[in-house]
Amino acid sequence: MANPYPAPHGTIHVEDTEVLAHEEWPGDQLVLRLYAPETAAAARPGQFAHLACDPLLPMRRPLSIQRVGPEAGWAEFLYKRLGFGTRLLARRQVGETISVMGPIGHPFEVDPEVRYPVLVGGGVGIPPVVFLAEVLKDRPGVEPVAFLGSEVPFPFATQPAGFPVSGVPETATHADARLEDWGVPSRLASGAGLAGAYRGHVPDLAAAYLEPLAPTERRRAALYAVGPEPMLEAVARLGQRLGVPVWLSLEEYMACAVGGCMGCTVRVEEPTGPAMRRVCVDGPVFPGEQVYPGT
Amino acid sequence: MTEGPSSTASANPASEVDVGLEFAGLWLSSPIVLLSGCVGFGEEYTRVAGFSNAEVGGICLKGTTLEPRLGNEPHRVYEAPAGMLNAIGLQNPGARAVVEQILPALDTTETHFFANISGSTLEEYIDVARIFDDSPVAGVEINISCPNVKAGGASFGNYPDMSAKVVEEVRRVTDKPLITKLSPNQTDIAENARRCIDAGTDALAVINTITGMAVDLESRSPVLGNASGGLSGPAIKPIALLKVAEVHQVAHRHGVPILGQGGIASAQDALEFLVAGATTVGVGTALFYEPLLCPAINEGIRDYLARHGLGSIPEVVGTLDWEQ
Repeated sequence: MANPYPAPHGTIHVEDTEVLAHEEWPGDQLVLRLYAPETAAAARPGQFAHLACDPLLPMRRPLSIQRVGPEAGWAEFLYKRLGFGTRLLARRQVGETISVMGPIGHPFEVDPEVRYPVLVGGGVGIPPVVFLAEVLKDRPGVEPVAFLGSEVPFPFATQPAGFPVSGVPETATHADARLEDWGVPSRLASGAGLAGAYRGHVPDLAAAYLEPLAPTERRRAALYAVGPEPMLEAVARLGQRLGVPVWLSLEEYMACAVGGCMGCTVRVEEPTGPAMRRVCVDGPVFPGEQVYPGT
Repeated sequence: MTEGPSSTASANPASEVDVGLEFAGLWLSSPIVLLSGCVGFGEEYTRVAGFSNAEVGGICLKGTTLEPRLGNEPHRVYEAPAGMLNAIGLQNPGARAVVEQILPALDTTETHFFANISGSTLEEYIDVARIFDDSPVAGVEINISCPNVKAGGASFGNYPDMSAKVVEEVRRVTDKPLITKLSPNQTDIAENARRCIDAGTDALAVINTITGMAVDLESRSPVLGNASGGLSGPAIKPIALLKVAEVHQVAHRHGVPILGQGGIASAQDALEFLVAGATTVGVGTALFYEPLLCPAINEGIRDYLARHGLGSIPEVVGTLDWEQ
């Protein structure tokens, strides 16, 4: 039998990075851009980096990667100022040094058979969805669509949607301006009544888009979701109901981020039975049916 | 040993100081041992570019039981002031899978790998030790901090009688070097050390984590899925140093070396443990923050030895001057 804990060598880089930009958005949201050339060169959508937010903090914090500029060497993150670690991180100024380990984890793999990738991001789960959209925009024959949800103002510029998305409610009028630039259709959802956003949960938009698709089209769709647990479960159930494959990116408190401590595990249901898998290196992306098995 | 300005005059070049040493009958290329539970089954940190198992003298593998264990439900780790709590629950694929599937993939020319064995009963410790006896591991570390199901869940390691019994029985089934990992969660660690030495251990690991908990105020429930966990990191360093010094006073009379551990994150920390009586030093939690820490610790130890005119690590071990 194969080693149950295989470890590819040398894929995670440790680098002292420079803060290039640190921008605050309403709702305690911050966008951090670092000069992290090794992480930027290797990163793929769904992966994360492990940041030493402050030298006095005993543990690093995992943050998912939102965008990279591989040639210029930058990597960008979105996070919310919530706990002790992110409060300290939010104090870091342009020009300061932050130690980064990255990139880490299994990325989203979009199967070549998939023509209609449906990207669903909620709150601080938005970054991997943005990264995936940016990568998919250049893939021939693929027509991605993204649905982004937030209960606080969106941490990016929005604009009236220029690309049609069939099936979604007319109240969802606006789109992520970056995705518009890339030619990727997107729509917004919020329970907080944000301007231009559908009032409700973001999985509702995914359902509204997928349900009217012809069976031949639906067979070539897949869902990729990152966000809070209720959102992930709703997306997983939607996929099960419609027969659409689901990939979910998970979060858990994390210590080493290289698979050594088994601290960040989650319970999954694999074909061979229940298993505890490490979010850091076995994930963070897992098949939806393993996280929320069908009944 | 006299120290002072004159020691600088007789200093050796740091590059000539060998940090290798003998430990429990094995030659280690460095006093650093990576600790059980922090580095998976020996290969995980090689994911980090620039990391090499050859930088350390030994690696204690993840705690292993007879049958596979899924371990505890999340959350399993949580930050604490100057440290962290963990309650992993011995997730492992079982001793046979470790020996048959994992050990063959390890490069045993780079460093020594030690099995870390656990059990819920005395019989389980014996069975696991037998399986590792017939394997390429360099030695066996006994984690005696496990709950003894036949003694109402009381930890083997907190009672000298139960600790000694585990060591005695494991000693019967293997000639490999035995390291017994002592718990700080007991009244008299030095007495427990003495009993484990009498029972035949070749070395002592001092200390395991200190039990603690974290509370979620919103739900008014424990943060950790297991409710309680083990505290590690710089927070426990002063406690660990004292325990090492206490155990050393017993162990050195029997020539039994100590693997000192508890919050070591720098060469200075490591040297403090050596002076307090440790022969080797464990690094665990500090790796999570700085995965490429070990070469700097080796270098810092070399510099210190050279600066003090010392030729090898044993010359500094247990040199704590209690009279000053």
